[in-house]
Amino acid sequence: MTLPLAAESLSAASTSGTLLDLSAVVMLLCAFACLGSKLFDRYVTYYALQSIVLAIAAGVVADALNEPALWALAALTFLIKGVAIPLATRRFLLDRLELHRDVAISTGLSTSLIIGAFLTAFAYLAIRPSTLPHALVASAVVPLSTAIVLLGALAMVVRRHTIAQLIGWLILENGVFLGAITLTATFPFIVEAGVFLDLVAAVLIMFTFVSGLALRLATAAAPELRELRH
Amino acid sequence: MTALVVLVPVLPLLSALVSLAPLRARGFGIALAAGGGGGLACAVAVAVHVASHGSFEAGSGFLYVDSLSSFFTLTVAVVVVLASVGSAAYLRNEEGSGELNRLQLRLYTAGFALFGGLMLASLETGNLGLLWVLIEASTLASAVLVGLEGKARSLEAAWKYIIISSFGVTMALVATLFLFYASSPLALSPNQRLTWPALFLHAGLLQHDSLRLAFLLAVIGYGTKVGLAPMHTWLPDAHSEAPSPASAMLSAALLNTGMYAIIRFQAVATPELGRYTNHVLLVFGFASIAIGALFMVRRGNFKRLFAYSSIEHMGIISVALGFGGTLGLYGALLHTLNHAIGKCVLFLTSGEIVQRWRTRNASEVVGVLARAPLVGGVLLLGSLAIVGSPPFGLFLSELTIVRAGFQGSSGLAFLLLALLVLAFIAFARTTADMATGEPQLAEETVVERRSFVAALPLVAGMAALLLLGVWIPGGLNTLIMHSIGAIR
Repeated sequence: MTLPLAAESLSAASTSGTLLDLSAVVMLLCAFACLGSKLFDRYVTYYALQSIVLAIAAGVVADALNEPALWALAALTFLIKGVAIPLATRRFLLDRLELHRDVAISTGLSTSLIIGAFLTAFAYLAIRPSTLPHALVASAVVPLSTAIVLLGALAMVVRRHTIAQLIGWLILENGVFLGAITLTATFPFIVEAGVFLDLVAAVLIMFTFVSGLALRLATAAAPELRELRH
Repeated sequence: MTALVVLVPVLPLLSALVSLAPLRARGFGIALAAGGGGGLACAVAVAVHVASHGSFEAGSGFLYVDSLSSFFTLTVAVVVVLASVGSAAYLRNEEGSGELNRLQLRLYTAGFALFGGLMLASLETGNLGLLWVLIEASTLASAVLVGLEGKARSLEAAWKYIIISSFGVTMALVATLFLFYASSPLALSPNQRLTWPALFLHAGLLQHDSLRLAFLLAVIGYGTKVGLAPMHTWLPDAHSEAPSPASAMLSAALLNTGMYAIIRFQAVATPELGRYTNHVLLVFGFASIAIGALFMVRRGNFKRLFAYSSIEHMGIISVALGFGGTLGLYGALLHTLNHAIGKCVLFLTSGEIVQRWRTRNASEVVGVLARAPLVGGVLLLGSLAIVGSPPFGLFLSELTIVRAGFQGSSGLAFLLLALLVLAFIAFARTTADMATGEPQLAEETVVERRSFVAALPLVAGMAALLLLGVWIPGGLNTLIMHSIGAIR
């Protein structure tokens, strides 16, 4: 049976394979950097950096497979995730609400970094052995993307400020996207575009809620959100 | 036929455009009801066609309707109609009392129309990726409704809802990716690898490990939408803070849409994974029933009570899917329809109570029967129906599910019965006190209002529940049996 040509059949030794692997590692480092930071401005910087690297990774796959749809996706990723969302977050949330230091973190930074390291190891153990064939780039990148997903989730759990949670979710989404372009580069474009559209709409609505909450509560930190307890 | 299938979601979606027109609440309400009614009419026509001609496919599987999707489309369309008539009453009342400004009225209309239309659209696609996109989009539309009132409480609920659902739904996207990867040994085009008929046909050849991961993540991801414990935490807040017609849509339509996605994943995973899928659904189902029933014991906000009851019922449906077999699936589908109508009626009733008593606290509401006989009557009968007492439809479907349980292991069936009894007592003791009891002295706190439009969906829904309890129409029976055939 012939495999369809896809990034999942990209060999790890090829140039594209190496570049993709490298991008994934840089994205993981960005996720760790964000987890180890306490300033809102840094969160946004690391997210922007991660998104730009994601756009490069999408470009690498697009080049290797000669898929015009993936080029479009790479461009969209760069413009929206790398530029527009970080800019808008700074402009409409951080500056307007005068946010600098994130004080609503439930665990210490070093603790969350150690948990993050364990999660990365777990991602390798869980994904590598059975699901993916060796010698393909997917077997290196998919555990990395799983680790990014888990780190994003961790950021959402340990950070209580709504904006920090939003960034955590965006990092998680980047991890999913990295897995998507590696594992399933031939994913139908209409679906990928739809996923993108949903992301943009979600971010817009979340922005509205965050500013609305901030106006009403003076601080939009989630621990203040206690009114709905039983 | 294509036009008919497309019109089912498009007619409700069109009423979103009306929100831009220079109209008042009355016009918006009429537009919503007309859109919903048109959608239901088309859904009925599609169901009749599918029942006689088999499944329908167009646009390389992006448009796909078989009996199962037709059944769910019909259920959701009924809920959309009931809730949009309820919305018409709600909008007029809120405009009259000045609770909502013009912008909020427009936002409600647009959000409601998008919410309903996108859910109907998600049920009519055979592409599992597009299914994900549309379910996420409908979530976003509904988040606007939850946060509509703009108070700190409702914004908080909306935030919790959108962040937890987005997280969960992202897991469902990962599930879709792994399903796509699991199909890579198949000689199919990339598009077919995500499209229902082709995927289901080759379900036995999917790669085992990836498929298992895909199924688990799908149950967790879409289970967050369904409100399966322990991913249910957004549900009580969102249901209690949303305007009541929107709560009705969340509970009776959105949860079912998520369940529909889980059923699809279960159907595609079962040939390879076997009873494993049933065990997973049994675990999540029993956890949800237990959590729902235990939290219902507490007396407080009655909209939260109804929300916990939704968690319980989604658990029952999940358990029915876990029992499996023709009887289990029949019970699951019938229960989906019954619960949808029953919970829709109850949430609309809760809206009527909130508008009169201006509180959501059950202990402050006494003697609804005496003050507002119709609302009180529907509250009492609707509660009896939702806890599963005869002669209403839910009794019949719960009986079917318990029977399906006894076919397998009677231990689990007894556990289910015990939990159902607990839920019965917990639910009925609060609502019975609300409906009956002596009206208190402070007459002036209760706002008097009579509205034919508001009463219409309550009476129609109760009549449908009663009908389904004594007689299942032949057409519905055929549709359910065909649906079961489509996923086995």
